Amino acid sequence: MTCVERAPADAHDLEKIFNPKRVAIVGVSSNGMGFGAGILSSLLAIGFEGKIYPVNPKGGEFLGLRIYSEVSEIPGEIDFAIISIPAQNVPAALDACRKKGAAGAEILSAGFRETATPEGIALEEEILEEARKGIRVIGPNCFGIYSPKSGLTLLPGPDLSRESGEVAFLSQSGGMAIDFGQMGKWMGVRFSKVVSFGNGVDLRESELLDFLGDDPETGVITMYVEGVEKGSDFFGVLRKVAEEKPVIVYKGGLSDAGSKAVESHTASMGGSERIWGSALRQCNAAQVHGLEEMAEASLIFSLLPPRSYEGISVVGGGGALGVAACDAAETYGLKLPILDKKISDRIMSILPKPGSSAFNPVDVANPLVPPQILKDTLLLAAEDDKIDLQILIQLLYHYKSLAMALGVDSVRDVTPYRELADSVEEVVDKTGKPVIIVLPNNKRELQCMDLEEMIRDARDIFLKKKIPVFDDLFDALRAIHHVSKYYAIKQRR
Amino acid sequence: MKGAMNIIEEAVKRGAKTLSEHESKLFLAEHGIAVTREVVVSTEENAVLAAEDIGYPVVLKGSGEALSHKTEMNLIAIDMRSEAEVREAFQRLTSNPEVTVEEVLVQQMVKGDRELVIGLTRDDQFGPCVMFGLGGIFTEILEDISFRVAPLRRVDAMEMMDDIRGKKILDAVRGKASVDREVLADILVSLGQIGLDYEKIREIDINPLKILDGKPIAVDALVVIDNE
Repeated sequence: MTCVERAPADAHDLEKIFNPKRVAIVGVSSNGMGFGAGILSSLLAIGFEGKIYPVNPKGGEFLGLRIYSEVSEIPGEIDFAIISIPAQNVPAALDACRKKGAAGAEILSAGFRETATPEGIALEEEILEEARKGIRVIGPNCFGIYSPKSGLTLLPGPDLSRESGEVAFLSQSGGMAIDFGQMGKWMGVRFSKVVSFGNGVDLRESELLDFLGDDPETGVITMYVEGVEKGSDFFGVLRKVAEEKPVIVYKGGLSDAGSKAVESHTASMGGSERIWGSALRQCNAAQVHGLEEMAEASLIFSLLPPRSYEGISVVGGGGALGVAACDAAETYGLKLPILDKKISDRIMSILPKPGSSAFNPVDVANPLVPPQILKDTLLLAAEDDKIDLQILIQLLYHYKSLAMALGVDSVRDVTPYRELADSVEEVVDKTGKPVIIVLPNNKRELQCMDLEEMIRDARDIFLKKKIPVFDDLFDALRAIHHVSKYYAIKQRR
Repeated sequence: MKGAMNIIEEAVKRGAKTLSEHESKLFLAEHGIAVTREVVVSTEENAVLAAEDIGYPVVLKGSGEALSHKTEMNLIAIDMRSEAEVREAFQRLTSNPEVTVEEVLVQQMVKGDRELVIGLTRDDQFGPCVMFGLGGIFTEILEDISFRVAPLRRVDAMEMMDDIRGKKILDAVRGKASVDREVLADILVSLGQIGLDYEKIREIDINPLKILDGKPIAVDALVVIDNE
């Protein structure tokens, strides 16, 4: 715990920090070893937009860039610095960067408070004092900032997406930041800003959350926290920001003291986990319990029109699927209303028989039903006022079995998934009701990699059309529930 | 409110770890929370006078700050309906072989038709937090409770009542009047405010908070003082 008070984050400074034009990397060795050289190659690989000035007392050259022997030697001013040198040299480097005009610095180096040694803690105090002189600090002991717009990237992130989106992520853990960055790439989550803040000596959850609350590029905020520094500050900021935009919180780690002596029933029942859940609920922040759940919730928050969804239709094959859908919907407080008789009669008239049913879930009986019929089914179901959103489950793996039976080499040749994507897009446009696609794959043996590849391709095609895709119905309903709950509470309050 | 502050300051001064039930209720009453009518007495004669003043039936409880588990210690006599019963109970409570009981609390007997619990705790991260839930013996068995971080907005108080599984207990069921949620909300909000205003209060239990004709009344209470 630090004793020096932090200043609130200044939006102008933060803009320079996330989208710097001139960056110093302090601690780049010409032999390419170490984190400094690592982050430099990451920045070059991702195509960072600004100018980079490597620094190392030994000078030299790396990847065609001159290495300056001191920060003060860099021509002109800098906006931002990335520092990766031994901990004891960090305060002086920070001072030099501030004098060069840097609005902020990310410190990748470790060896501070996390060591729990007096030296480490004292060095962290020194960093905070330097920060107070006029340079904002991310870290230390972190992976830094990922900003797709400028091409600033995390230490191990040379291949993250350059496509900007509206999801921001604040993470105490660097590993979680890079995991989400990579996962977002295939899952369809696009980021505005990602910050791994590590020890968070200066800027951390409350300051950054406050900033993102006002950031026009950020529409959805995700966070991974293990513990917050000033709970009441965090609570106040979270409550304020969640009134404006959705905030999804993954609280990791159990910090319960457990052994704390208490006198009352109230205290004995008010463990840390329970209080965290209550605090998040009170702020109307969505609580998730894993990285995938966080990613899925952020995807759907960013793709669906902002409102609460209650009535859902599920269209797919297999009766048990229908039962599973009803059970899962109930778990998440969602409804699968029985379709209006006139509508279900019309759906029945176009579905293959026997085996199909059209109450909701709509069981199309046959996994190889052509896209045209699925489209007409979705169009009809959307006519029911009770339906707010539709889910289409497609078991594309049956096409692999078909291809094998027909002796066709590639599953792509027999699967009408592009046509399906066009059909679904047309349904969404015509009805104004979102459709979510679920593409389970129950055929994952090594011999069926072409199927896996095709499903990946199908995912990308749907996502390009802003249609959310999930592997699993249960996950989809869980994500919808977060969205519905958030907007329902927001509206009610 | 000056009285309330004095109760806490005096307890801190004398190094008490908890307030007695009676002091706890005096403190809560100063904050607008309805509590049982009750008097602390040290003689049998005064116990009888108190009972007559309060009106039969009454409850007698051994009183003192160290006596926070009165049921387990057999220090409660409920439903005393006559002078004779009060005298007998006074003698029994004050001659307990395991603890010295010098004072006895003579208390209005509240039958009530439902039992709730309301409390205050301090979380390491979020500070004072208010609890609401099913009271009496069900508190620990079912743990059907909800928490909110202080300060509570009115909407927080209302929502936390809806958070418990057994929330229907607040409705008009089986001929019982529905519970006055507005009064409950007042209590929840003021308990949060107590947590913010009195640093020296570490925990509070109001259990049971009984419901009498739809209105909540604190039948037992414990205020824990931070006197480390």
